[in-house]
Amino acid sequence: MRILISGFGTVGQGFAEAMILRRNFFQERYGKDLTIVCVMDSSTFALDQSGLCPAELLERKKSTGKVGTERYQDPLKVMDSVEYDLLVEVSPTDIKTGGAGLKNIRHALGAGKDVITVNKGPLALKFCELVALAKKNNCKFRFEGSVGGAMPIINLCRENLVGENISSIRGILNGTCNFILTKMDNGQSFEQALKEAQQMGYAETDPTNDIEGYDSACKVVILANSLFKRNVAFSDVSITGITAISSEAISLAASNNMVIRLIGEVSNDKLEVAPRLVPKGHPLSITGTLNAAQVVTDLAGPITISGRGAGKIETASAIMSDLVSIMDDRKGREGRCLNQ
Amino acid sequence: MMVNAQIYVKDLPGRLVESLEPISLVNGNIVGVVHDREQIVNQRICIDVTFEIKGNHELDQLKDIWKSRDVLIAKIGSVYKTYTMEYMLVGKFKASFVESLIDKASKAIHFESVDVNYSSKNASSARTAMISAELISEDDLKRFDAFLMNACKKSKIVYIRGI
Repeated sequence: MRILISGFGTVGQGFAEAMILRRNFFQERYGKDLTIVCVMDSSTFALDQSGLCPAELLERKKSTGKVGTERYQDPLKVMDSVEYDLLVEVSPTDIKTGGAGLKNIRHALGAGKDVITVNKGPLALKFCELVALAKKNNCKFRFEGSVGGAMPIINLCRENLVGENISSIRGILNGTCNFILTKMDNGQSFEQALKEAQQMGYAETDPTNDIEGYDSACKVVILANSLFKRNVAFSDVSITGITAISSEAISLAASNNMVIRLIGEVSNDKLEVAPRLVPKGHPLSITGTLNAAQVVTDLAGPITISGRGAGKIETASAIMSDLVSIMDDRKGREGRCLNQ
Repeated sequence: MMVNAQIYVKDLPGRLVESLEPISLVNGNIVGVVHDREQIVNQRICIDVTFEIKGNHELDQLKDIWKSRDVLIAKIGSVYKTYTMEYMLVGKFKASFVESLIDKASKAIHFESVDVNYSSKNASSARTAMISAELISEDDLKRFDAFLMNACKKSKIVYIRGI
């Protein structure tokens, strides 16, 4: 399996670290190594058809700030110059246009390559188009890490709960907002809590996408399209952020034994991100940067999962699960061909 | 149908069982019983019993049996499931705004009860109201949700509902 990595920021580097940690796993499970043949960051690329060393890539990025020594203008030309089987698209999210990530994914699927991404922009904007392109070219397209980081919500629903009728999914899909609301539970003002989130590296300098609910809304769209077979876009989501939540609202909720949490909700007739009153002790009243989701099914009833919604190695874990799934499927296909 | 009855029986051994047995005779299903020995009126004790029964015909049969067994019926009525939800409104508004909203809603929506708590006004004059509503059907709950959401949207008030 020859891998091209597009994006070598936090998540890309986390994936490279996970590749080092799981080298033996792939050798034992599939009898062959995975090979990284090309890595692109925002302006440079490294390419070696015989395989790049993940440790060297990490070291170079750390010491020079760049992953490669060669610069590029057009990422699609770089992609065309490499022989690869799978694109891992982890470039920065652009929820307005889809950015370079959308172009890269389209290009790879168009060329019949499998794709794994955690990039929410392309999925929130062009999900149905990308799935159709993957289907047309008979390639695999997976995106577990795009919702809930290490929390395996998509694969849980698509694989383990495949025999269930899922009536709704609601959850805490943004760890930054949950961190801020948890701090407000402990008496901080919204402004203080946001500042602390920025100091801890949970919130960006411009926190708009998180606190206005846009990040959660992207995830709601991905869940709706991938699990409820809907054809919706970011603009279809009713969004209310947490900026208007006052300390006195938090206090009044607490005096009624409740907390306020930013909840994304998806069902066949609902697409919403809004602050909600959650009873203390409810599975969705979790604290800190954790993500949680409650899947309501007809046979199993409600199923709740929680996990780290972001982080270098945590998100890489979701990519690894998609990678194993694709490798298993390829192995299955090879097996079936040999049996025929 | 679910029925709740408050009956009085003589304070004698065996009378409690004797008063509950007819419910089974009319194919009813007892859901809960409170045997209150503190509440004695004319040497009779109060029993509060909730049960499921097929319909009014069976309920009339039960009343006749109770009458024949000297069981006094103080109160009897059907019990229905209610739906509760909490809402919080955050913004610049007066208490009269929330009261008029609930008045308007109650003309079209069936409430069992509504309770409103307010936070004290803060420096920015924004305030918070917590509404605890008990409604008699799921449909009423959905309509109240939609009504509050639209009213708050028009008045630029943040609307937070329970889960």
